[in-house]
Amino acid sequence: MIGLPEVLAILMFVAACGFLLTGFPVAFTLAGSALLFAGIGAALGAFDPSFLGAYPQRVFGIMTNEVLIAVPLFVFMGVMLERSKVAQDLLDTMGALFGPLRGVLGISVSIVGALMAASTGIVGATVVTMGLLALPTMLRRGYDPKLACGSICAAGTLGQIIPPSIVLVLLGDVISASYQAAQLEQGIFAPESVSVADLFAGALLPGLTLVGLYILYQITVAWLIPKSSPPIPRESLGIDSSATLLSRVLVALVPPIALVVAVLGSILAGVATPTEAAAVGAIGALLLAGHRLDPGRSRAIVVATLSLIGVLILTAVLDLRVTRDTIPTQDLAGVVAASILCLGVAWGTIVALFRVYGVGVLTDVVRSTARITSMVFVIVIGAQLFSLVFRGFGGDDMVHDLLSGLPGGVFAAVLVVMVVMFLLGFFLDFIEIIFVVVPIVAPVLLQMDVSPVWLGIMMAVNLQTSFLTPPFGFSLFYLRGVAPKEVATTQIYRGAVPFVIIQIACLALLALVPGLATWLPKALFG
Amino acid sequence: MEPISQRDLSVNALAALARNIDALSEFVGRAISWIILPMVLVQLTVVLMRYVFGVGSIMMQESVVYMHATLFMMTAGYTLLHNGHVRIDILYREASARRKALVDLGGVIVFLLPVCVLTWWVAWPYVATAWSVLEGSRETSGIPAVFLLKTLILVFAALVAIQSVSQAIRAGFTLLGLKWPEGGKPREPEAT
Repeated sequence: MIGLPEVLAILMFVAACGFLLTGFPVAFTLAGSALLFAGIGAALGAFDPSFLGAYPQRVFGIMTNEVLIAVPLFVFMGVMLERSKVAQDLLDTMGALFGPLRGVLGISVSIVGALMAASTGIVGATVVTMGLLALPTMLRRGYDPKLACGSICAAGTLGQIIPPSIVLVLLGDVISASYQAAQLEQGIFAPESVSVADLFAGALLPGLTLVGLYILYQITVAWLIPKSSPPIPRESLGIDSSATLLSRVLVALVPPIALVVAVLGSILAGVATPTEAAAVGAIGALLLAGHRLDPGRSRAIVVATLSLIGVLILTAVLDLRVTRDTIPTQDLAGVVAASILCLGVAWGTIVALFRVYGVGVLTDVVRSTARITSMVFVIVIGAQLFSLVFRGFGGDDMVHDLLSGLPGGVFAAVLVVMVVMFLLGFFLDFIEIIFVVVPIVAPVLLQMDVSPVWLGIMMAVNLQTSFLTPPFGFSLFYLRGVAPKEVATTQIYRGAVPFVIIQIACLALLALVPGLATWLPKALFG
Repeated sequence: MEPISQRDLSVNALAALARNIDALSEFVGRAISWIILPMVLVQLTVVLMRYVFGVGSIMMQESVVYMHATLFMMTAGYTLLHNGHVRIDILYREASARRKALVDLGGVIVFLLPVCVLTWWVAWPYVATAWSVLEGSRETSGIPAVFLLKTLILVFAALVAIQSVSQAIRAGFTLLGLKWPEGGKPREPEAT
């Protein structure tokens, strides 16, 4: 049953994709196309303009959404690690540690991409960063350009589904709202909820499976075609003894990995919300940056780090709550000690702030953080208008009827959604899809008793595959933009193909074994 | 010395307008971007207070929300100036300067400005209602300034609209092949 409003809804979608290809900023193009069609619809009597009155409330909802506060904090953390060259050191050191083995640089790229990209999650930004960071080194060391480019594109997109990535925060928020809506629709008035932490937990095993498969592929290539991935002698990196190597590993490798693991661990352990963990992660990144910029004088920073760990240990062993009526002497001593340790954290943080500011990195970091955060949220705000108008045309009901009327039931519905999302991935970045497409399709699928965590992870891996698929995949374009001219575009394409195959294999695995995504959240949070 | 024509005068005026708009966006963006620091520090303090000492502060937690919203709403124009809003640049990147200018000018006129006008138009009564009762927090010990928070929607629409005028002028200059007056060419902003 398709009337004029439904036709306009479909046209609006198609037109928006077309307008987006002109290259005008996505946020305004989405909102503008929606407004254009709202106007046409109103003129033809197919759209009720009073729908637009709900727009400010939606924008305000985004502004005050406490889950999304994690986004700028994670962005700050990621930009800080990148600009202070902590990420670069991590990559170099990993190369040095395993350098004499073949293929290790590619593997390092996969691991560092997974770790670092976790905190940005914009396909373009991550691929560009990894491209600038790793591609020149890999080419100089005589790596096969195809393998190097494929590894970097794959690593750049991988970060999106490795928690704590901001797209998982955004996706978790939308899936959570869709799940509530779906259950209300079914008449369940005490709905179960799904949180960002659930999605993080669900993404961990599939993400690690992908990292594992990437590495397996890189080892296989290194073994079959030794020329493609030459070893790197340690001497060429200025490391002549195992003592220097050890100190490099302790300084450059262990702390950032420990930071990411701690942030993720506290979320998965159910101790902290993503926002809380992100704040600790942001301070951790600041302390690391402070140390990196002047390793000779890092007493204050070491004190701050130890103090932070000390506070956590004290909290674990003693009851430090000060709002109780009677506090045992032992606990009181603990409170005093914890307060002193907090002063230690404050001191180190201040020292780190001034140091990072002194070399000009802090100014750079806050401005970049502001621009990336604004970019993300303006897309979210623009997408709100789009989905509002789409709903005004009755597009939601149309998609609902279409999906639930498919012969083949749940399987067919999920398959259709996945194929459509894969194709949309050629035109839209992750965030737009999360806020434009997911709110439309997820409630329908979730009413069919699909697991919300599984659905979210399937969407994430599916989109990641889309971004990697020649010739339209986003990450390939972004890498083309920063790759040297000697690297042919066809080499980038051919390098990506094996990784696309790995991705599809993983998607199939996820479809066959949903437990890969759903087991861990259930085990952790019940 | 050649006499200055009417046309040159209006060209100069437009160039000056674009320059002033850019300066405004740059100033606001640079100032507001520092909010991320107190945001991180206050959020960390909230975490330490709650987990270690068992003390919660609704006002501090809400202040993080206020800073968060201010951060991205008030830097949107600045982000536009720095070309920080993501584009699908498969075709755009390879396009000629003229074609890019055409997209930018057309986009501002067809999409961006109408969206800002709509946002202002529908947000005005929404914000006015909040002001008329000086709407405060739902929590008794929260920050009593929700009306100011809602006002950010108007500020956002205004800042983006103003900056888009400068983007349009810049694109217009490229399309018409006009020369920027001495010292008047806006510098190419740094990339994100």
